[in-house]
Amino acid sequence: MTDIAKDKLPAGTEPAFAGMHKWLQRGLIVCLVALVLEGALTFPLLAIWYGWPQLSLQEICGEFEKIRFADESRECIYPYPLFAESEGKGQKTAQDVWSSQPRPKYERVEYRGLIKRREARLARQAAEKAAAAASAMTTSPVAAPAN
Amino acid sequence: MTTKVASSSTAYDAHQERSRQEQWRADKWMMVGVFFIGTAVLGLIGLPFFLYGLSLQIRAAKEGLSVRPVLVTLIGYLVAVDAALNSLGWALDLIGNHTLLARVFLMSWGNMFDGGYFWHYNELAIGGATAPGEKAWVIALLPLMFSMRIAAAIGFLQMKRWGHQWLVVTCWFGVIAWTGYVANMTIFFDVRYAGVVFPVVGWWLYDIFYITPYLAIPYLHTVNREIFSD
Amino acid sequence: MNKLTMSRQDRRRWRAMVVFQLVAYGYLLGMFLLQLYMLSNRDW
Repeated sequence: MTDIAKDKLPAGTEPAFAGMHKWLQRGLIVCLVALVLEGALTFPLLAIWYGWPQLSLQEICGEFEKIRFADESRECIYPYPLFAESEGKGQKTAQDVWSSQPRPKYERVEYRGLIKRREARLARQAAEKAAAAASAMTTSPVAAPAN
Repeated sequence: MTTKVASSSTAYDAHQERSRQEQWRADKWMMVGVFFIGTAVLGLIGLPFFLYGLSLQIRAAKEGLSVRPVLVTLIGYLVAVDAALNSLGWALDLIGNHTLLARVFLMSWGNMFDGGYFWHYNELAIGGATAPGEKAWVIALLPLMFSMRIAAAIGFLQMKRWGHQWLVVTCWFGVIAWTGYVANMTIFFDVRYAGVVFPVVGWWLYDIFYITPYLAIPYLHTVNREIFSD
Repeated sequence: MNKLTMSRQDRRRWRAMVVFQLVAYGYLLGMFLLQLYMLSNRDW
């Protein structure tokens, strides 16, 4: 124990493993710093990529749901009722190529792409509504109140 | 003669007592740091606390006090952080899968790196990840492996023999988990990576820093086990 | 325990740990490369 080389080593580290332990320590520090950075940056960067603050969190949630289940009529219900069924249970709209290894058909979301998708959809729906209203006016003006 | 022995033993006791105090002082800083790091979002606040505590411990060691080896401290706390961060995400998936937090951040993480957290999400009766096999890993690893590993890390930081032994057990469990999990991802490759923003490279870059058990195992098997006590 | 057996045991342990690291990281690297290969094969 009076060995000088051994005295310099931390307790528990035999000379034979000094080199290995030094490398392990470096690796551990890298992992620690990386986990901290990831933890701190993931949430804000993801939010920005997917359109926050232009889109509210609930709108982002809703856009994801429309993509996931390939169904534009879906909305993000929030707060979700506590003991209700899962939001996607029994859905029939999601698009996949089914096989032993299923493949989803949804497309990659570009940087702030949810904003563009949402605007395009709203514009299209507004146009459809206007067209429907216009055609209703021209074709059957009397039929409308009959309902 | 007797007085001499008595005085040397009180000097030893005093040294032990001071070592304990310094270690505890360092640990208080590091525990505050790890608490913040474990919340993920506040990690940058926690890191300086942790590093300051670590520097206190290193300084105490340089003064000749018998404090924990740096590697034991690093492994103990990093294992706890790794387990805490994993638990956070998976508790969100297992229990909080209909919260807005899960349906925005877990979804966006999934959409960016791992389709397993996007594909048919919240369609199972129990909600959460629907990708083949994924839920089984969550159920096996979250309440078992990660909670056991946090307990083991605490015992390890106290330099207990059981802490060392249980860290060996749970770190090997971690190797099994990594092996099986990665195999599962490769088999259901399309579910995991089709339509994802940064497929494959993104996931690996993000997740590779969770290989803590791989770094801990060589140390646990080559450390002189006499430094751990009952 | 004499020095000779001690160092032999240490050497064995050292080798075992190096083999473990090579196998463990090798497997991960292999899976990563396999996934990259699969990625290059997909039409999506």
